[in-house]
Amino acid sequence: MTVAGGIDIGASATKVALLNERGDLLGSAVLRSGVDFALSASRGLDQALKEAGLEPHQVRVIFTCGYGRNNVPFAHQTRTEIAAHATGAYRHFPRALTVIDIGGQDNKIIKVDADGRRTSFKMNRKCAAGTGAFLEEMALRLDLDLRHFDSLARRAEDEAILGSYCTVFTASEVLSKIREGVAVEALIKGLFRSVVKRVLEMDLMEGQVVMTGGVVAHNPYLLEMMQESLGQPVLVPPRPQLTGAEGAAWLALKSLAQDNRQAGA
Amino acid sequence: MDRQEYLRSQKEDKGRKVCGVFPAQYPKEILWALNLAPAEIWDPPVSPELAAGHLQPYICSVVRQGLELLLQGKAGVCDAFLFPHTCDSIQNLASVVNDYIGLDKPCHFFYHPKAPHGAAAKVYYQEQLKALARGLEPLAGPLREDELKRRVAQGQRVAELYGQLYGQRAAGRLACSNAGFYQAARRGEYLFPDDLVPYLEGFLQGAQGTAPAGPRVLLSGVLPNPPEILTLLDDLGATVAADDLLACSRRLLIPPSAANDPWQALTEQYFAMPPCSSKGSPFSERLDFILGQCHKSGATGVIFYLVKFCEPELFDVPILTEELKKRGLPCLTLDVELNQGLSGQMSTRVEAFLEMINS
Repeated sequence: MTVAGGIDIGASATKVALLNERGDLLGSAVLRSGVDFALSASRGLDQALKEAGLEPHQVRVIFTCGYGRNNVPFAHQTRTEIAAHATGAYRHFPRALTVIDIGGQDNKIIKVDADGRRTSFKMNRKCAAGTGAFLEEMALRLDLDLRHFDSLARRAEDEAILGSYCTVFTASEVLSKIREGVAVEALIKGLFRSVVKRVLEMDLMEGQVVMTGGVVAHNPYLLEMMQESLGQPVLVPPRPQLTGAEGAAWLALKSLAQDNRQAGA
Repeated sequence: MDRQEYLRSQKEDKGRKVCGVFPAQYPKEILWALNLAPAEIWDPPVSPELAAGHLQPYICSVVRQGLELLLQGKAGVCDAFLFPHTCDSIQNLASVVNDYIGLDKPCHFFYHPKAPHGAAAKVYYQEQLKALARGLEPLAGPLREDELKRRVAQGQRVAELYGQLYGQRAAGRLACSNAGFYQAARRGEYLFPDDLVPYLEGFLQGAQGTAPAGPRVLLSGVLPNPPEILTLLDDLGATVAADDLLACSRRLLIPPSAANDPWQALTEQYFAMPPCSSKGSPFSERLDFILGQCHKSGATGVIFYLVKFCEPELFDVPILTEELKKRGLPCLTLDVELNQGLSGQMSTRVEAFLEMINS
């Protein structure tokens, strides 16, 4: 059995996926990235190996992606998270796609053609508007556990209208709304709407839309809001937070197969 | 010898006065003929401290850094300053420097016509050339016509060498890094032609070889700063095969004029330069230039490397990217502040762009 590993070291979380040559997920892990990316990658790999019942030497090749992709000494190659998420999404939905990845620090809109080739991508720049970091900051300001955001937003009977995407300005607006007595559920729904609107203004959503990343994995209500805004169904891979890691592992498998073909030729 | 030492040596050893020149296009042959050493001020490495008090926050960092250099007293080597009328911000900078901050050094201005360039534009340009020469004479002494002619010929030799440098690179016959290429090309911003010609000849000879086999891109914008873009592309195995940079190809790739009269030659050469946003060149000309450079050099993607708030560039880029994409050339737009490096996101975008054009 040929096993390849993909490690997606994001600003918030490190994700690991181990795939066999057919692309089946054998083991995975998700843990905080912390400040030592190499250590979190190593720990994540150990967890995934344990889950898969594999030994380290059985993993033939490891590709990394994400913010800390260049900080992992045992990686064989790196790919950008844009390549990894596009590949990861296309693997599950092989057709022309617009992939929305909402990550801890970055949002990406990636266009993929029917053959799986990336035709364009957009990425937020320095600003954290619409990213996981935006929601994390709001959770801090509201003294709420981020894990409760999804259920709170679902319970909202109303929606707070927030005029800005900016994390700093939104924090001020949220404080004003609290003073006005706006329910916290409505505030959270307003924050989710802010994420959706920010993402939608980044690029045109063409064809089938797929959402990936940790934010949508933990907040499926965002997906429902996105569908409502777009007026069409939006697909999500089975393990949205692992899409980048699976994509990196799949690219590693393809690279290995190409090397083997060349060696055979 | 670094730039400051070189300019000091020009004064001390060669008896030349130094003229600080703000971007972008100016007739350097006239300065050379007057024995003035031009020292161009594009992106001085000074930390922002004082300029913000004189400029609106939406002014580009080329202007900001240039003013900062003056306000920090770090342009002491210059005996005078020249402000070409490149854009509104540089014209306003000229006004701030000349009219408000009380610089005790002469300031000169150079106006060049914006497109469309009719017959009157050529007459106007030649008048401006002569007015500039007259304006500089109190500082540098009278201009001798034979010396101007000699310097025009020398300028043509410089342009020929730059043409070879760009041609070799486009053909994949230059074995130097992207960073090395632009370090060499940008020497022309301060080397006197007597030194620049042998420098470029030596560089061309020493850099002959085969370019890396990785992706080839065209770099468009004002200047290759932050220079981290070049080292990043080097690290990723990519080559800047051609450029459409205001500081570089748009004013270095000058077809020579056959005119015997030096004023006529300078005029013809100015109007034969590649199209530029700062001259108001039509989109179609800019598009054709970029497409032609990509075709010649094998560049399969275009990176617009824009200085934030550069209005002339920002007006053109949306249309250029749309048209280039229609013609199958992927584009990446990055907006940057001078000397502030590349963020992690920007590096990722560059790397993802290369992955995309290479797949």
